[in-house]
Amino acid sequence: MEQFIANLKKIKRGVDFEKETSLIDDGLLKSFDVIQIIGMIDREYGIDVPPSQILPDNFNSARAMWDMMQRLED
Amino acid sequence: MTLTSLTFFAFVLAVLIVYYLIPKRLRWLVLLAASLVFYGLLALKSLPFILFTALSTWAGALWLGQVTRKRTQIWNEQKSGWDPAARKAYKKQTQKMKRRILALILVLNFGILAVLKYYDFVVEQINRNAGGHLSFLGILLPLGISFYTFQSMGYLIDIYGEKMPPESNPLRYLLYVTFFPQIIQGPIADYQKLAPQLYEGQDLRYENLKYGFQLILWGLFKKMVIADRLAVSLQSLLPVKDEISNAWQLLILLIYCAQLYCDFSGGIDVVRGVGGMLGIEMAVNFKRPFFSKGLAEFWQRWHISLCAWLRTYLLYPIAVSKPFLRFGNRIIEKSRSEQELPEDSLWGGFTFIQHLGRVLPGAIATLITFLIIGIWHGASWQYAGYGVWNGVILFFSMLLAPVFQWLIRRLHIQTESTGWKVWQILRTAVIVGLSFTFDIADGLMDALRMIGKCFTPVLGPTTHLGTAVDTGLAGADWGVVIAGLLIVFAVSLYQELTGRKVRESLNADSAWVSWVLTLGCLIAVVIFGMYGPGVASGEFVYMQF
Repeated sequence: MEQFIANLKKIKRGVDFEKETSLIDDGLLKSFDVIQIIGMIDREYGIDVPPSQILPDNFNSARAMWDMMQRLED
Repeated sequence: MTLTSLTFFAFVLAVLIVYYLIPKRLRWLVLLAASLVFYGLLALKSLPFILFTALSTWAGALWLGQVTRKRTQIWNEQKSGWDPAARKAYKKQTQKMKRRILALILVLNFGILAVLKYYDFVVEQINRNAGGHLSFLGILLPLGISFYTFQSMGYLIDIYGEKMPPESNPLRYLLYVTFFPQIIQGPIADYQKLAPQLYEGQDLRYENLKYGFQLILWGLFKKMVIADRLAVSLQSLLPVKDEISNAWQLLILLIYCAQLYCDFSGGIDVVRGVGGMLGIEMAVNFKRPFFSKGLAEFWQRWHISLCAWLRTYLLYPIAVSKPFLRFGNRIIEKSRSEQELPEDSLWGGFTFIQHLGRVLPGAIATLITFLIIGIWHGASWQYAGYGVWNGVILFFSMLLAPVFQWLIRRLHIQTESTGWKVWQILRTAVIVGLSFTFDIADGLMDALRMIGKCFTPVLGPTTHLGTAVDTGLAGADWGVVIAGLLIVFAVSLYQELTGRKVRESLNADSAWVSWVLTLGCLIAVVIFGMYGPGVASGEFVYMQF
């Protein structure tokens, strides 16, 4: 999880991924950032995120993204 | 019966009375009957097309739901008996089946849209460039075909993605597709947000009637007082655009920006107001787009429902598809380096190659999406040009974003200062304004010539022959337009600065002031609105899509 947050910080500087829980709702992450995050998840963790999983609830926090990755790995 | 006609409002009144008189559980049937009658009155011949789309999507979604249900059932039965490989193989097999069903319905419906919209254009190109003698279809586009096709296909893709179970009742689904206020020019609705509101039957509330009525009036004000006046002016100015000076050409672009915004957002306000009076909150389609500080932001504030649809069902699937991600990852792999670059370096802490690998999948997908947006606007090269203009600017703004940030830091620009924000807003308005050239020009080359003319020395307010330009409107009409635009600007500025809705603020502060202003708006529409014989007020620019 720590490494995942470090990876997220490389994509979007200046966002507190440890604390933020409304990344999409508050406009901190845009669609272009989401695409880059999915690229990073594919590259670093080998997990394929399908377009149907690109929902605000799955990207509003680092924890939500991590949980989505666990679900998709199952 | 158009959205600004008395007949339409008499129809809405009748629907409201019947809707609120009958039992709640039957109210959705009133909306369905009203929607079918409305569509039949406006475009009876197009009815088979919309019914086909509704029926095929409903059946396809049920089929998809059945496959998913069966898969889940077998999974649950075999829970402990299956090894992961067998489970994965079965999942792959059902996914393949679902993909085929999805593809079948998508091809059928988008095929109809493509043939009706683009067949004649393709035939024209073949006949002109290859000396063919193919005959044209010559079929008028079914009313609202883009909007109801996009909305239905969005529903189907959501069912495919298992976001929700399919609707089993064909009549309830038909209501979602045909809901009468949105059929002419949107907004394109998300099933999960709109359908439950349509089906459950809303309570009669004074606030809903009041806010809905006020929104309708505001929409009519923008459409009938401002947009329809400017449409008259454009009718005079556009035919002589090649003879007039550059200054007038810039003015034409400004007039078109104002007309398009007031026409489209005014129409959507009427639609959302009617929905509001029925207790149904429809999707927001505009959020003061001309306050955007960048082109990407503009597309999050202009025609929001279409852009959200394209982002969800086109941009994301392209950008996160395996070939696109692999393409980006391959570039990054080539440039793996242990050396950490500082965050404030030219490419934001990455090498140029690494940066390319990170942004190219999204940037290329954006370019493709905007090319499709352009082509969706119309079957001609100039609309493709509109898409390319937006797509290329966004492509390079994504690619060069770290460089811009680097420059801002080097030049010590205060990005939170009002001056910088105003500059960003003006810069975006110019980019957007110039893009509308593709809308009003007579072809692609004419659009490029017009853009070029905007950057050459400005001449006086006369034609090349030195005669005065006829703007098509009298001085008093221009007074009404300017006053109207100032009111729209003041309301937008208030919303932008406070984040509050004017209607709610006024009602919270003083109910009687709110009603006086409502009455004032009604009087303004009656006195200054463009209607009557010879005025095509019912026509909306976005109706043709």
